[in-house]
Amino acid sequence: MREIWTSIRRTPYQSFSSFLILFFTLFLTLILFVSLTFLYGTLNYLETKPQVTVYFQNKTPENNIFKVRDELMDSGKVLNIKYISKNDAFNIYKQLNKDNPLLLEMVSADILPPSLEIYAKKPIFLPEIAEYLKKQGDIDEVQYEKDIIDKLLVLTNTIRMSALIFFSYLILMSIVVLTTMILFKIALKESEITLLKLIGATNFYIRKPYILESLFLGITASTLSFGIFALAVFYFSPFLQSYFKGIATLSVDMFSYKMVIWPLNYIFFTTIFASISLFGAIIATVASYIATNKYLKV
Amino acid sequence: MITFDKVTKKFPLGNTALNDVSFEIDDNQFVFLVGQSGAGKTTILKMITQEIIPSSGSIIVDDFDVTDKNFSQKIELRRKIGIIFQDFKVLVDKNIYENVAVSLKVIGADYSEIKNKVMAALELVGLSKKTMVFPVQLSAGELQRVAIARAIVGDRDIIIADEPTGNLDPKTSWDIMKIFKKLEGKKTIIIATHNTDIVNSFQKRVLVLKEGKIIKDQRKGGYEL
Repeated sequence: MREIWTSIRRTPYQSFSSFLILFFTLFLTLILFVSLTFLYGTLNYLETKPQVTVYFQNKTPENNIFKVRDELMDSGKVLNIKYISKNDAFNIYKQLNKDNPLLLEMVSADILPPSLEIYAKKPIFLPEIAEYLKKQGDIDEVQYEKDIIDKLLVLTNTIRMSALIFFSYLILMSIVVLTTMILFKIALKESEITLLKLIGATNFYIRKPYILESLFLGITASTLSFGIFALAVFYFSPFLQSYFKGIATLSVDMFSYKMVIWPLNYIFFTTIFASISLFGAIIATVASYIATNKYLKV
Repeated sequence: MITFDKVTKKFPLGNTALNDVSFEIDDNQFVFLVGQSGAGKTTILKMITQEIIPSSGSIIVDDFDVTDKNFSQKIELRRKIGIIFQDFKVLVDKNIYENVAVSLKVIGADYSEIKNKVMAALELVGLSKKTMVFPVQLSAGELQRVAIARAIVGDRDIIIADEPTGNLDPKTSWDIMKIFKKLEGKKTIIIATHNTDIVNSFQKRVLVLKEGKIIKDQRKGGYEL
């Protein structure tokens, strides 16, 4: 640690330039990473919203309706099914038209059909569910907005692919920029590296101080980026609360773990900090390794 | 011992730096390489450290066959050799002590060994009272003393110097050569130089090069091209 600090102190402008590059890269990466995470979470949330609504014939026994419900739940493609009985439908109708007593006189619970509101786990299951329902007996009508669902599927897939490409590009550019920056710094030390090679230093001995210094700067930059980000989130939290009003939770699937990203919590913040620190350490190390390679062929 | 046996070096653009050169240098021998610019002096020195690989012939340095295709002990070889350059090549962001110590740090020496040996080397070159000074604060002669201290510290039995007095005034040049004189008989010393006065006064073995060939090998020679 003392040698790292000594090296930084003796070449302050070069070290500060490397630090700034790392800081801006990591801060931008952090903003994009969190934005993309929230986008993914929002997409996941929206994808559970579209539903199929199936209306049964008026005299359909409840057991038949429950049988269809249970079969759908057992299929593994359905997130939730809500049963609206004739009385429930009538109560909803009354609530919606409470200011229009004339409409209420005309309608009774007997004429309203029972229904199931089906929320699929993914929009791609909806056509399949609709087809299944159409083949069942006692069905009066199956409603789902095919066109809207198709467009949402295309949109979400496009956004996911674009995010992946953009993120890959960001990582690549970060490494290229950092490598170039570190190359400039090491170019000033070309003579020193040549000397060390000629007096019998191993490649590891020569690389170590540059990699350690870059690692230190990377972790410091990522810590500072996270600190500023956390302050910004704290400052904007009233806005975020009103923006996401009505949404109970947002989550993203990380391998086999479902991480809740909204409401904001310690696990999410810890994951962000760990991710950005790891990312900063990796790109700094990789950039240093590539940069020192150029001058080790003596 | 250093043995060059029919060593030739042709560069890709057609230039022949060395042409069928053969000689032997015994342990602890003091040798001058003299010749005009482009005669091949620096090429010989770089071949000893395996910076340059010959096109043909063989080179043995202290039992290391550096021309062997499977030679993989470059680091061990270079840890036996101390190099002194015409442009000193001191590390500007390290003080004198650290500059000399780096020669021992690369071989993994511990703190107490480094301290003892570095101070002994600095004492030899007359810089023991300037350990914390940085290169920017030193004269050219003092910088070359630092380079010599770095080259002789530790178990580096072969000292090669490429024009060590090339950037120095005559008086400083003599002061530097006095240090080499102190090392005589303790290390193998090979000095490439244009300095006729020094070569003539030292009366040591002189290998004279011309256009990549050794034209003279005098056991106690002077500067005669």
